[in-house]
Amino acid sequence: MATIDFKNVQKRYGQFKAIHDFNLHVGEGELCVFVGPSGCGKSTILKMLAGLEETTSGSIEIGGRDVTDLGPGKRDIAMVFQNYALYPHMSVRSNIGFGLKMRGVPKADIDKAVNEAAEILELTDYLDRRPRALSGGQRQRVALGRAIVREPSAFLMDEPLSNLDAKLRTQTRSEIVKLQKRLGVTTIYVTHDQVEALTMATRIVVMRGGVIQQVGSPDELFSQPANLFVAGFIGSPGMNFFRGPVEIENGKAFTRFGEQRIPLGQVPQKLTAKEAIFGIRPEHLQVGETGVPVTLSLVESLGTEKILHFATPKGQETDAIETEIVSDEDARDKKTMLARVIDDRRYHDGETIRIALPEGKVHIFDTVTHEAIV
Amino acid sequence: MIDFSSPKHRSKFGYMLLAPAVILMALIIIYPILLSVDISLQDVRIARVGGTQAPWTTKNYDWLINSEEFWNSIWVTARMVFFVGGTSLVIGLATALLVNQKFKGRALARLFVALPWAVPEVVATVIWAWMLDSSFGVINWLLLKAGFISEAIQFGSNATAAFFAVCFVMIWKGYPLVSIMLLAGLQSIPAEQYQAAKVDGASVWQRFFYVTLPNLAPVIGVTMVMTTLWVFRDFSIIYVLTQGGPIGATTTLSMLTFEQAFSFFRMGQGAAVGVVTMIICAIISRALVGRFAKSVH
Ligand SMILES: Nc1ncnc2c1ncn2[C@@H]1O[C@H](COP(=O)(O)OP(=O)(O)OP(=O)(O)O)[C@@H](O)[C@H]1O
Ligand SMILES: [Mg+2]
Repeated sequence: MATIDFKNVQKRYGQFKAIHDFNLHVGEGELCVFVGPSGCGKSTILKMLAGLEETTSGSIEIGGRDVTDLGPGKRDIAMVFQNYALYPHMSVRSNIGFGLKMRGVPKADIDKAVNEAAEILELTDYLDRRPRALSGGQRQRVALGRAIVREPSAFLMDEPLSNLDAKLRTQTRSEIVKLQKRLGVTTIYVTHDQVEALTMATRIVVMRGGVIQQVGSPDELFSQPANLFVAGFIGSPGMNFFRGPVEIENGKAFTRFGEQRIPLGQVPQKLTAKEAIFGIRPEHLQVGETGVPVTLSLVESLGTEKILHFATPKGQETDAIETEIVSDEDARDKKTMLARVIDDRRYHDGETIRIALPEGKVHIFDTVTHEAIV
Repeated sequence: MIDFSSPKHRSKFGYMLLAPAVILMALIIIYPILLSVDISLQDVRIARVGGTQAPWTTKNYDWLINSEEFWNSIWVTARMVFFVGGTSLVIGLATALLVNQKFKGRALARLFVALPWAVPEVVATVIWAWMLDSSFGVINWLLLKAGFISEAIQFGSNATAAFFAVCFVMIWKGYPLVSIMLLAGLQSIPAEQYQAAKVDGASVWQRFFYVTLPNLAPVIGVTMVMTTLWVFRDFSIIYVLTQGGPIGATTTLSMLTFEQAFSFFRMGQGAAVGVVTMIICAIISRALVGRFAKSVH
């Protein structure tokens, strides 16, 4: 168990800056998830922490000890790889015990530790098999076994679940969380899947283009996204955005959505511009008697839950920031907004319904900096 | 009319399509083998196909078992296989590991490693024969100048020198293939296995021993079979350099086959040596391939 500190860490590949000025403190026993779109530098920062990649500048500390220039074997960490990276020619037993063997631990102690780890991970029956004779989920557990058997001060996991099918992924996800709680080892978990991040993390670090966008608990990220990117990235489906004017009256702010005036509550201090980008989550839109009339272009039904698609009001589309929002589950058409409803009503394509935007649920973002205005 | 698209007959169609190729292969491969077995069982000096068939006899094989030349050539071949195979493997692995690293000019280095392989065997051997010549060869000159030897080594008449000269040229010619194959093998080892081993605390040697070698084992096996068979079969290097001499020091099985059949015109005995060589090669490749294939699965 240990804390992990990144201090002004940077990484360059030639001219390309993969990581800009990375600062982060991870507390003891935390499960910290790094999330972001492909190529944002998650694996790079993890490899630097493991000592597999050189750090261009800055320093990394594990448990208060500066490890920036130490080799991977001397950092007292264990890593789980996306493709498991098991040694194909060794039995499961040797795979799990390999790290201990390399450290010169006596054979009897290795056997004991391996058996214990196998018990925790329910691998006892497979100890004498080769990795190729195991299923994907079992292989992943062997990789976990290899990590836990050494009792390191930190676990590093790089997308360990992305080779598993959806069901096994959900199952293994909760197994990892339970295991981590039980062992209490500081863990850094990398994923590009925001659902995984939200369900597993005690703290999430959202990254983009080598820069930290926001650090916070799943709740914080969901309810107070720091900028447009985080707002669009976290949540499924991601947040809806539209452009609108800012109107101020008696200390209250308003905008317009289609024909309707939308109250925004108290005027935020930083709100000075005439125009802003507004965001609202699909689950916060309310279907009812009042509200803006919209025509449904598509209805996706998942049983009681329905996703309603309708066009953003004319002139309020946010094409200009299209590249900004990279929701991973679908490349969404930016001229379409989504509402997520759970009710027993039937909706059909082409139907006109009324949509309301409740006060307090609308997020405001700067049109230029894309930062949240609060 | 049979409907070949029906599942029942589909495989028949496949066999039909394969048949011409199989028959052709059989004629090209099997016929000469049968022919040499046939000749090896006849007491003939110059075999004539289509002539009257001499009665079958085991005379040639009796000669084989009792002839010193045969046992000598087995011994020479075995030593050569071990020495050439082992050294090529070591040099090939070393160069493969070297050019697998990232460094400036790697493409050029890879080209140089592969170069001897691209030179035609006879051309290469003739060049080496010149270089190894005892009176005007550059090798002797260099060794003399450097003071390693006090008089020129007679590669033509010194049995040990001749043996090692042949081995040396074989290694020079043979290691690039080993190197190329092992390089391909090295490149197919996932980088994550090395990363995992590093995190596990394995040193450079431990990574070589526990990750590189086991992953390369199948490629090493196949490469060794190929090198072994190549040494068994190789003729031109020995023929150009030493003609099998001096006093049989470089007479391998294939040299002996040639000598018996075309120098002494005892084709029956030559064919017998050839058949035995073929059987030994088949056994070796079966054993090695099976062995290494198993080590992966
Ligand atoms: N060896 C390298 N040389 C040059 N550029 C590299 C190298 N490794 C990574 N990069 C670049 O650094 C950036 C970050 O890569 P990284 O592998 O950390 O992405 P990632 O966030 O892990 O993405 P993914 O989710 O696809 O795994 C990418 O733009 C990548 O092209
Ligand atoms: Mg990655």
